Amino acid sequence: MAGDEARGSVCNTNAVSAAIEELQYVLGEGPCVDAYQQDRAVLEPDLADPRTPRWLAFTPKALEAGARAVFGFPLRVGAVRLGALNVYQDRSGPLSDEQHADALVMAEVVAHWLLDVQAEARPGALAEELELGAEFYFVVQNAAGVVSVQLGVTVTEAMIALRAHAFSTDRPLRDVARDVVERKLRFG
Amino acid sequence: MARETALVRSLVELADTLVSDFDVIELLTGLANRCVSLLGVSAAGVMLASPDNDLRLAASSSEAMRVLELFELQAQEGPCLDAFRTGEPVEHQNLQAGVGPWPRFASGALEAGFRSAFALPLRLRDRTVGALNLFNAGQTPMTDEDLVVARAFADLAAISVVQHWSTIENQLLNEQLMRALDSRVLIEQAKGVIFERAGIGMAEAFDRLRSYARSHNLRLTKVAQDAIDGSLDPAAWGP
Repeated sequence: MAGDEARGSVCNTNAVSAAIEELQYVLGEGPCVDAYQQDRAVLEPDLADPRTPRWLAFTPKALEAGARAVFGFPLRVGAVRLGALNVYQDRSGPLSDEQHADALVMAEVVAHWLLDVQAEARPGALAEELELGAEFYFVVQNAAGVVSVQLGVTVTEAMIALRAHAFSTDRPLRDVARDVVERKLRFG
Repeated sequence: MARETALVRSLVELADTLVSDFDVIELLTGLANRCVSLLGVSAAGVMLASPDNDLRLAASSSEAMRVLELFELQAQEGPCLDAFRTGEPVEHQNLQAGVGPWPRFASGALEAGFRSAFALPLRLRDRTVGALNLFNAGQTPMTDEDLVVARAFADLAAISVVQHWSTIENQLLNEQLMRALDSRVLIEQAKGVIFERAGIGMAEAFDRLRSYARSHNLRLTKVAQDAIDGSLDPAAWGP
């Protein structure tokens, strides 16, 4: 699930997860929808016997598709909200602490990956950025705020514009960001 | 005000904040500032761990870019990372450029004007969730009394991350750590917005954000979100 208006699945790992994504897209309810709208992790370890009955349309169909437990994790980078990561299990039960931690980390990685995809990054450049963890430098977040004002766009779009600039000029994202906050580079 | 009085007042204020609906980043920023004023150090910062044990900055007593970057460097090396990994304090250490256990960190610290450093782990029961880092322009170690105070601040910082007392369980804790770190990212984006709208520096942008939140009795994170959305009057950022 990615983006506010154009909700849909970007990637799923098998037929069951594809079905679960499709159901949420069609029905407009489910763990991903809640995770995105409420901006928090949504955990349902037992779909057949939920602690809080919810998703009246989604639940029976998800069970039918073979899911027994579903989990949604928001994809966000500050003000940037990109959708939610969906995880399911074919048996009931909570995620282990390790699986849960992995899902949180994965949601972060996917969020940055989505930004890069939208910036039309070259595949190689993406790996390099992730390796260096450039995303986490404050200067990059500062620059996204600055560029959002300069271009009159959302921080999400500003982040994509920064990345697209970095990729097209073949410079590290952090250097481009530094130029922006030192007022050496302007967008728009 | 006598130091003892100031200390008691600080601890009471922080404890009061902890029982209300508070903003983690605001609380940690206040805590870092109090470390500076009460322990006589030059700068203080709180770093928190993401679920994959990446250490990231949550709050600092200084918003100077150099200081913020010094904390960012500690994702790779430095007293914070050591305190976090070992769960033990990293004792006072005089810094020399390019040498010692953290050569890059030491060089960065000296460039920022700090000649010694010290770090304490933030502990919650059997888990270490981050570290408190103190910097000094001088090289005199803290007294044993100061260490006790620093420990109390570190404990308060750790507790502040857990907002739901009923369950200190790992999954919830991880979500709250991620949320706190993401709040910090949101604030950095808002600093950029105000920097550009008001034509001021980043550190000043943070000050204006914080004083707006305080004077209007709003959560720092909420004001940051509103600044980004443009739902706050841009005139709010004027001098």
